[in-house]
Parts: sequence; C-alpha cells; structure tokens
Amino acid sequence: MNETGGKKSIGGDFVIPVAALVFTLYYFSTIIESPWTAQVAAFFIGAILIALTLLFLVKSAIAIGRGQADLGMNAVIAPTGLLATRLGLLAITAAYLVLIEWGGFTLTTFGFLLAAMLLLNRGQRAGFITLFALAVSLGGYLIFILAFETRFPRGPFEELIQAAMQAGI
Amino acid sequence: MAIPGTPTRRAFLKGSAAAAGAAGLASHPLAFALAEAFPSRNVNVVVPTREGGGADRNLRAFTGVWKKYLKTNFEPGFYPGASGRVGYEVYMGKRKADCYNLIFGNMGPELLNWVVQKPTFDINDYVYFGRVDTDPGCVFVGAKSPFKSIDDIVAEGKKRKLNVGTSRLAHPASIGILALGEHTGAQFNLIPLSGGKNTVAGAVTGEMDFSVLTSGTVAARGDAVRTLLVFNDKNLLGERLDNAPTMNDHFGTSLPPMLSSRAFAIHTAAIEKYPDRFKVLADTFKQVFTDPEYKPVVVKAKGNWEYINYGGIEECKAYAKDIFEIGERFKPYLTGKS
Amino acid sequence: MELQLDLYGPLFLHTLSYWWVIVPSIFLGLLVGAIPGFSAANTIIILLPLTLVMDVEVGLIFMVALYCSSRMGAGIPAILVNIPGTAGAAATPLDGYPMTKAGRGQQALAMSFVASSLGGLLTTVLALMTMPWLAQVGYYMHSVEMIVVMLFGISLIASIAARDTLKGLIAGFFGLMIGSIGADHVYATPRGTMGFLELYDGVPLIPALVGLFAVSEAFLIIEAQSILSRHSRDLLKTAGWSATLEGARIALARWWHITWNSIIGLVIGVIPGAGASIASFVAYQQSRTYSKTPEAYGTGHPEGLIAPESANNGVTAGTLIPLLILGIPGGATAAIMLVVMQYHGVIMGPHLFSDRPDLGYGVFMAMAVTYLIMSFTILPLSRYMSKVTLVSTAYMAPIIIAFTLVGSFVPREYMFDMALGLVFGVIGYIARKTGYHVAAILIGVILGPLLEQYFLRALKMSEGDISVLFSSSLGNVLWVALFVTVLTPFALDYKRRRRAAHG
Repeated sequence: MNETGGKKSIGGDFVIPVAALVFTLYYFSTIIESPWTAQVAAFFIGAILIALTLLFLVKSAIAIGRGQADLGMNAVIAPTGLLATRLGLLAITAAYLVLIEWGGFTLTTFGFLLAAMLLLNRGQRAGFITLFALAVSLGGYLIFILAFETRFPRGPFEELIQAAMQAGI
Repeated sequence: MAIPGTPTRRAFLKGSAAAAGAAGLASHPLAFALAEAFPSRNVNVVVPTREGGGADRNLRAFTGVWKKYLKTNFEPGFYPGASGRVGYEVYMGKRKADCYNLIFGNMGPELLNWVVQKPTFDINDYVYFGRVDTDPGCVFVGAKSPFKSIDDIVAEGKKRKLNVGTSRLAHPASIGILALGEHTGAQFNLIPLSGGKNTVAGAVTGEMDFSVLTSGTVAARGDAVRTLLVFNDKNLLGERLDNAPTMNDHFGTSLPPMLSSRAFAIHTAAIEKYPDRFKVLADTFKQVFTDPEYKPVVVKAKGNWEYINYGGIEECKAYAKDIFEIGERFKPYLTGKS
Repeated sequence: MELQLDLYGPLFLHTLSYWWVIVPSIFLGLLVGAIPGFSAANTIIILLPLTLVMDVEVGLIFMVALYCSSRMGAGIPAILVNIPGTAGAAATPLDGYPMTKAGRGQQALAMSFVASSLGGLLTTVLALMTMPWLAQVGYYMHSVEMIVVMLFGISLIASIAARDTLKGLIAGFFGLMIGSIGADHVYATPRGTMGFLELYDGVPLIPALVGLFAVSEAFLIIEAQSILSRHSRDLLKTAGWSATLEGARIALARWWHITWNSIIGLVIGVIPGAGASIASFVAYQQSRTYSKTPEAYGTGHPEGLIAPESANNGVTAGTLIPLLILGIPGGATAAIMLVVMQYHGVIMGPHLFSDRPDLGYGVFMAMAVTYLIMSFTILPLSRYMSKVTLVSTAYMAPIIIAFTLVGSFVPREYMFDMALGLVFGVIGYIARKTGYHVAAILIGVILGPLLEQYFLRALKMSEGDISVLFSSSLGNVLWVALFVTVLTPFALDYKRRRRAAHG
C-alpha cells in the first residue's frame, strides 16, 4: 500500500481478492454436479470468501469514489528501479524450470545460479560468481543425486559421470 | 547419504538381485539365449503407489529373482497419486511402448476406480500380463470390540446401520461388505478413511464399528485386531487371520473372491509391435514362481507366501471381467448417485 | 503394563553407550530437517536398505535420533531466512524471523534449541510415565473432537488478521479454498484441479510452503543488500557467546511456557492422523490468546517462538505412543518405523512391552538420550549458524530459489511440483507486498483439507445429520473451550480499555 500525493494506491490490493473470487467461481463450476460430500465444505467456505471479497471491493470502491485512493499498482511493483531486475529474476527462474528437463539438474542449476547472481550483482565479480555457482551446483549434485538418489532429470553432466563411474574411472 | 560400504536404496535392489542372478543363470539356456537380443538395457517399472509401501516390498522381492532370468536390472519409479492414475496417465502414458517399460499396479482397486471414474486414457491401452499375488479382503474389529463373530455383526446390523471403515469406496473389500449387506439384509454405512493405516486405526480406536481391508495388511497387525470374515474361497492364512470363516462357506453365497492383486502391466502396443520381446518377459516372469529362492525372499520381506499366486494374461483378463461386472453392479453406491 | 523403574538406570547407560549412532544421526537429522522437502520419514525410506541390515536396536535408536533432530532442524531456516523446513515448523517464523531481522538470530536459535530440547525431553519423560493412559486418548478423540481441534488451529487466522481483519480473513479463506483442491474425500470426484492429475490428492504441502515463504522471500530480499539493517548487522557481527547464553536464559526463564506447550504437542501427537503442524498452530494460538501482551506476537516475541517449537517437539513422543501401545502409527515417520520393526520380526502393539520391554522402553530412552546429547552439541552451533544471515542477498536469493524449488520436487519427484512452488511464490510475493499475510494462507492450505476430511467423516457417519457435531461429551467440552478461547482476546481487550479509560 503506497501513498502518492495523499492518495493510497490500492490497485495491487485487488490482485489477491480478485484471484480468490475467480478461483472460487471456477471451483464451484467443477462441483456443481458432484455428490453432496464434494460440495458441502466448499460451498460453505467459498460463500464466505465471496462475501469477504465483495465487501473488500465495495469498501475500496467507496474509498476511490471519495478520492482517498486510486488504482495505482505501486504496491506490487515498488521500488520501480528494481522492477526490471525482479522480472529478470522471474524469467530466469521460469527458464530454469523449463530447461532442467533437457539440461539435467547440475548444468541447469549452475546456469541458473550464474545468471541470477550476475543479474543481481549487475555483472560484477563474474569470476567469483562462476566459481561459487559451480561449487553450489556440484554440491547439490552430490547431495541430491549421488547421496539421496532423487530422480532429478539427468542431463549430459549426469550421464557423463555415470558413464565414467561404470567404466571404473 | 551413501555411507561408504553400505548399500544404498537403489543399489540394494540391483545388488540383491545380482547375487541371486549369479546362481541360477547357467541352468536356463533359453532365457540366456533370448536375453542377448532383449533386454539390452534396464527395464523401467512405474509403481503408482508410494515408496516404502506394500507394493515396494512386493516388487523388491519379485524383481530380485526375476532379474536373474531376464538378465537385466529393474529401475523402479514411484509415482503415487489420484489412486494410481498419475502413474498410468502422466508417466506410463508418456513412456515408449517398447517392452522396456512396465507398470506394477494393483488390479482390484485400479479397475474399480476406472469403473467409477472413467480415466482419460483408453483402458485397453494397457494389458495386465503378470499377476504376482492375490490378497483377499477381510472384515476385522479392534481387540477391544464387543463383536466376537461375523454373526454378531450381522445381528447388530439388522438393528442399526453400522459404520464400516474402508481405505476407499472403490475397493474390493468395500464391495465384499456391500455384498454381505445385500445378502443378509444387515445395514452398512461405508466410511472411506483414505488408506490402510487409518482404516486399522478406525477399527482399533472404536470410531468405526468395524473395518474392511486386504487381509495381508490385517494379518500383519497381530493382536491389535481380530479378523471375523474373509472374502475368499478359503482362509489361507488360518491362525494369522484368527481362523475366520469365508463368506461363501459361512453364508452359502457364491461371491467371487474380493481380491487386491498386484500385477505387472504393459502397453498393448508393445505386445503387438514386439511379440518376441513380450514372450521373453512373460516366460521369464513365470519362471520366478518355481524358483526355490523366491519363497525365502517373500518370507523375509514379511509377505504372505500363501498369497503368492501366478497368473498370466488370461487369468488377469478373467479377473478384470469379474471386477468390472461387480463394479458396474455397485456403481451407483460407489459414486454417490444411488 | 507396569512401570519398571529398576529398568531405567541400566537402560539409560546402555542407550548412552550408543552415542556413536546418536551423534551422527543428530547431524543428519538437522540437515534433512532444514532442507524443505526432506523429512525424517523420507530419509528413513531412502536409507531403508541400511536400516534393514542394522541390528534392530541400532536401527531403532538411529530412527528415533533422526526423528527428534529433524524436528529441531526444521526450525533453523524458519528462524534465519523465513523458510520452515517442514510444515511442522510453519508457525516458527512468525516470531523467529523478526528476531533475526533485528540482529537477534543467535538468541532466537538458542531459544528454539532450548525450547525444543527441553520440551522434547520433558514430554519423553511424561510419555514414559503416562503411556498406558495417554494411549487411551485415541479411543476418545474421534472425528467430531478433531474438528474442534482443527478449529483451534484455524482460529489462528483471526489472530493473525488482527491488524487488518478483512485482508487477513480473505487470505485465510483463500488458503482454505486452495486447500479444498483435490478429489472429494468420500466419492473421489475431482474438484478445482484445473485438469492437473497431480492435484487430485490435494495441493502438496511442500511446494505451497516453499512458494509462499521462501520463493516470495527471495524476490523481496533483493530490495536491499542484506536481510539485516546496518544496525542489526553490527549487532550480529559483534555478538559473542553471551548472545547464545542470553537466548538460553530467556527460554529457561519461560520454563512453564515450554512445559505447557510441549504438553499440547504431546496430546495432539497421540491422536492418530494429527501432527506437528496442527500442534504448533494450536500452541501459538493458545500462547497468544492467554498472553498479557498479545500485540507483541508477530514482532519477535520470545513466547511466540518458544510455543510452536516446544509443541512440535512434544509431538514426537506423542506419535510413538499409539504405535507402541496400539500398533497404529501416529504419523508418517512412525508408520515407516512400523515397517522396519516388522521386517525385524518385532510386532508393535499391546504385547510389545511384555515381549520386548528393552525395545518398548528403549524407544523413549533413545529419545531422552538424544535430546540430552542435542542440548550440548547443538546449542553452541547457534553462534555460527546465525552468521548465515550476513551473506549478501545477491547470493542468497538465487540459492534460496534453486534449493527450495529442488526441495519441492523431492517428496513426490514430480517436475509439476517445482512449477507449483513458483506459482505459490508469485502468489506469496503479491500477498506480502499488498498486506495479505502468507501465514494465514498457509494455515488454510494445511488445515483446510484435514478439517474437511474429519467433517465429512462425521457427517457421513451420521448420514448428514449436522447435530452430530455436538453429540459427544468430550467434543462439547472442547467446543466450550474453543468458544472461550476465541472470545477471551475480546474480553481481555475490553477490560484493558476500560481500565485505561478509568485510569
């Protein structure tokens, strides 16, 4: 909630209630023909949630009508100077989740850490960051794949190590 | 977490099987000759239940011996969720139909589930080809329960509706108790408790009047519970199930056995495309049951040897037909649309 | 079953002689507890081949030590970086993290360690003495009673919402609605799953936890170079051993608070199916309701940290009681222990204490010894662990994102869960930026499905008769207690205001 020129910017405050409202209506649509056991709790909770969000919307609308608030999105995007970095981090994270299926755990984690840390450090200390990302992703490989044997997607790196191990190197 | 010198989870699976394999391989020239062509790499097994559960132990014991005939490792992957549908739809469905991918399911609950809720895949896309065991459902009470016999339950059920714990509605054991109600006129109200652990707890703590579950699980609970009826042609575990009578013996019914039945399934397309490979799978699968090493492994894993019961494609088909029929009969009750 | 007091002395020394198993298990437990996604239960499964070849006694001591220490481990990231290691530690950051931000992370860790060890030790001893009676709890706490216990936890949403009631309630009910995703508990019809089979069994907890707390935190902390202010950094940098001692002293001075909340944990732990997350929410809610300074909660109040930490360690002893006495496991870890013990030919249940008293009592002795050893080995570490918060956010944020998303993958090994973690991260970020409390959302996600499950069970048993909710005497006593608990803050507030007006 930010204040600009005496007015509160409450646009961001709507995101959660609107998401809740839309989700609840969607949820209702999936149970409309279900047996009562599927409906009873959801209709009860959903009805209260809808009432709460509507109350919130009405209250906010009144505040806007009186000129005490506006629909600015400052609360979500502030500080604006950091917006690009934050969106960049989000994009790198999303890319990480998409690429891990092909690149395998270790390589992709290395790439993610390298890219994210360089972004947040504005490109400085690249050498240190490379070594650090390498150490952390290798540590992750040792813990998660070698020791705990979790089924992370295997990529070129994991295949290589496995082949080397099988060859007795 | 691999402490040096100790077997890890997946290495353990492979290791124990390798040890078993060394002994028996030379005496089976057929398996050996065919194995040169297939398999040439590990066989993946999708398990649609959680790791560490009954299916896991069952699979470890079985593949440990099967491996020596098939001459390859098995790589299990546990994908529980949505009563097994995640395993079938999300994982098995995406795997290649090349005989290197199997799924280790539980025929009874899975088939019933498909009856009450049509899955997004065509159920003819998969074929159960190897039945490992048949575990009949049973009726049991907590050690402190006032019910001493199934007749006590039926008598009480005629006076008031009894609450019956079950792991889920679409389960062979649930069907068994519905059939008993239909036959005797006793009133039963099935309460799904999500899983065997809660079902036993429901009976032991007395929240339920009694519970129904697969008898293998019940037998393992020792004196905490008392078994009163078995949905099979014979009480194979005898004393371990408190010498409880069978439904057909006691009530003169002709209900087919209400079984949970673990079995391997494969893509139908894989059988059509690679009949040779499939033959290797099916033949070596059968050999496990006559291998003298199999029984000790089952017993060591605390399985019930009496329930180990070979079945091929035909037996699995016959079983599926029974389950589909009886499932359709009770469908309105199981879906809440009665 | 009688208490065999002459057994305890030799058994204690005997268990102590297994220190070589206990100490490494403690450190392993701390590690797996601290990484979201790992827990004592799945670590025991991973190490199953190892556990199965161990001597039965060693195996049991190993599992017990791991179980106890993982509980404590889960609190460490909750306090230092606002990331609970398991759902059982979800109430810990409410007051633990504000302490860290104020440069008092070392004190907070010390408090948590003392509360955990003391609470754990105390409930172990209590469990040992009262086992035969406590085991009966399971016979009385049925669905109806559990509904009320859940409502105790859920009413915490109202307390959290105190600062902005409408937003707090929206967050809580949104959480409850998200928690309702998944197949219905009776007929298994899918609801609100958006077509994802991975959501049929409900929203998985770890991705929700990781997203709402950790991922959103990572996107927030990059606003500054450090999660600490300059003043807090100086405070932490210069803090010596005295800070640890101060934390320990603060906790010890509240010994009564530790006792009371660990007993709440013990009793909730005994109920099959309930668990650490419920216990810690209920403890926090109780602690806040009957506090003289409820407004201090959420700002780094020692009691707000001590309550959930002593409660979730009290649960540990509790979950083992139904396993040992009735043969029914009280939680996931206890269920795995049952499997391992069965493999060794040990039948858990009413006869365990006559057949194998060494194992029956041995379990509790192993717990007691573990907690004792823990209090000496872990407390000094608080000084070094707390320094983690000095790391620049430019390095910390990417590591948090990578390792917690990895953690959301671990429990089910679905790539879907990693993406879900990120989705919850975005929801959490927006919620926190706009004043909706993520803890309120999480309480809904965790307790909502449990409440619905008990509610439906009760309704199905009564065939839809709603009056079943008031059909049991114990249930009715609990309803009154709930009513009193919910109304007390208003009454106290009213009294305070009147006194202020008159004074």
